[in-house]
Amino acid sequence: MTTVAVAPVSPRRREHPVPWKAMARVTWLQRRSTLIGLLVVFVACAVAIVVGQAGTHAAYASFVASGCVQNRFHTPCGNFENWFADNTDLFSAMVIALHVVPVVIGVFVGAPLLSRELESGTFRFTWTQGVGRSRSVVTTLVLLALFVTVATCVLGLVLNWFAHPFEVIGIESQWQSGLFDTTGPMLVAWTLFGLALGTFLGALIGRTVAAMALTAAIVGGFLVASFVWLVARLEAIGALATTRLMPMGLSIGQLNVPGAQFNGPVGSWLVRAWFTGQGGKRLSSAAASNVIGRMYGGPATGKVGPLHWLSVHHYIYWVSYQPASRFWIFQVIAAAILVVLAALLVFATVRLVRRRA
Amino acid sequence: MNVVETSGLAKRYRRTWALHDCNLAVPAGRIVALVGPNGAGKTTLLHCAVGLCTATNGSITVLGDLGAGSLEALERVAFVAQDAPLYRYLSVRSMVAVTRNLNSRFDQAQAEERLRGLEIPPDRKVGKLSGGQQAQLALTLALARGPDLLVLDEPLARLDPLARHDFMALVMAAVAASGFSVIFSSHVVSELERFADYLIVLANGRVQMVGDIDDLLTSHKVLSGPAEESDLVGEQFTVVQTRKAARHAELLVRTTGESQLPSGWESDDVSLEELVLAYLRDPSASMLPGPLAPDELEVSEAAR
Repeated sequence: MTTVAVAPVSPRRREHPVPWKAMARVTWLQRRSTLIGLLVVFVACAVAIVVGQAGTHAAYASFVASGCVQNRFHTPCGNFENWFADNTDLFSAMVIALHVVPVVIGVFVGAPLLSRELESGTFRFTWTQGVGRSRSVVTTLVLLALFVTVATCVLGLVLNWFAHPFEVIGIESQWQSGLFDTTGPMLVAWTLFGLALGTFLGALIGRTVAAMALTAAIVGGFLVASFVWLVARLEAIGALATTRLMPMGLSIGQLNVPGAQFNGPVGSWLVRAWFTGQGGKRLSSAAASNVIGRMYGGPATGKVGPLHWLSVHHYIYWVSYQPASRFWIFQVIAAAILVVLAALLVFATVRLVRRRA
Repeated sequence: MNVVETSGLAKRYRRTWALHDCNLAVPAGRIVALVGPNGAGKTTLLHCAVGLCTATNGSITVLGDLGAGSLEALERVAFVAQDAPLYRYLSVRSMVAVTRNLNSRFDQAQAEERLRGLEIPPDRKVGKLSGGQQAQLALTLALARGPDLLVLDEPLARLDPLARHDFMALVMAAVAASGFSVIFSSHVVSELERFADYLIVLANGRVQMVGDIDDLLTSHKVLSGPAEESDLVGEQFTVVQTRKAARHAELLVRTTGESQLPSGWESDDVSLEELVLAYLRDPSASMLPGPLAPDELEVSEAAR
């Protein structure tokens, strides 16, 4: 005889199943105008991206057909690269627009979610219904999070698709600050963070306009900090170093595109560059600039080449880089940090709601 | 079963105590009026009963031993808050749908029938309804939840006399049909007698008087007679309130049975409004259930 162990079902769970379908209907009834408005904005962004991609499609197809992916030194390749470099306006506009998405979600969905209930007194209605206040807040948040996750996931993927030709050509890269936060899981994570922060501030302050303003300031501030500082710092963590690249200056931060003249790890993100002199001592910026000037400006380099000139003079050009394979690892780590922050904010919000009396 | 039972219940908001050492046992099947001046703690007590506030000290249970605000309690206790807050931007139909989805038991047919009877258009936005209609809608939604206890916080405050009558008529009809218990707070003392059969008077966050309204009325009398004898008469009773004119005195007293009054003195029944106002005017007076007095004990023993 076979005995099957059955896990006991908690009586509380059996008697009070979480009413997901019912809460989905409530969320829709209460917030349909906001959700429809957001859907319109999301669809408009997606359409703009598709139209933009259609505009670059022919040029990219010619770039690929001309064998430029493998070898950039064909004559027409430079023209294609120039064409892409001159046609980044819509692409840049979409990257900026998608940066605004987490702020918009935080301000117009998160912040009013509880502050409006507290301000208008309707919490006395909602929180005394059979579903219970904690379950009402958590289920509503989960459903809204699902909506924004799906919407921003689609937007992020569509922008990824738009970015692909720019990435291959090397004009834009997903590693760079603006795109790093708006493609793949990062856009979803930022938006969830915005939603959770807005909801928390709404529950904490209890005033809709103040919660909206503070949410805009904080989420916007975080995004700007990420653009200016955080992403670059994150991508420097655990970077590998190579001396195989052709010297190209100190401030790099660019993609080592396949078929380019720089050698080194193909498709990797070049983070920083520096020179070391005799005894492995790192040169100052001024000294490094001097070396670069002498290397390219002197008569000797024309004959021996920059790398040889450097070795003759006991200088080494170093570049730290992140291999292409690490891109999604960085995306997942950064996204996970934001999602954990969002989860902590939701936890704090539920505690606030439970204690609010 | 007690529909609300508190033990040493106290609630503090920052430095202010809204309720102190509140001990209550409200029996089931009654229509309870919770009365008191503004700031007495009525709303706080009702909020504690429906789980909108947590006690600083003491405990509160509802419908037997259910923790106030627990999921089990919320399913069986319906609450209409002061000013009947509803989603003003929703239509009446959507408001009904929202309430239906927030509760596991909700009688939509009953709600729709009541709204038809009240001539509240289902497509109208809640914010466009009159104050009376909004209160009726909030009450209809609460009743459709099929509660065992209905809690109403100042339901009559914003309503004109006709709307008050209609509102309470709806409550009384539902009670007659379903037999649930009702607790409602009010400062409109004059109309309580028509609706309530049990009274709780709160003052300064303390329970000052509690009991069956008929018992409270029979245990209080208004004695009137010559002013110079009022002290002598007052010694025989617990005097709640004394009013003296030049030669005439009126004493509102608690009695435990028939007492001999000196000649020239008369005993009259007291109205509920008079009784409540008398207690509210004197915060030190109280009428609470507790250990029986020796003479009451004798009566009680004799009855056995």
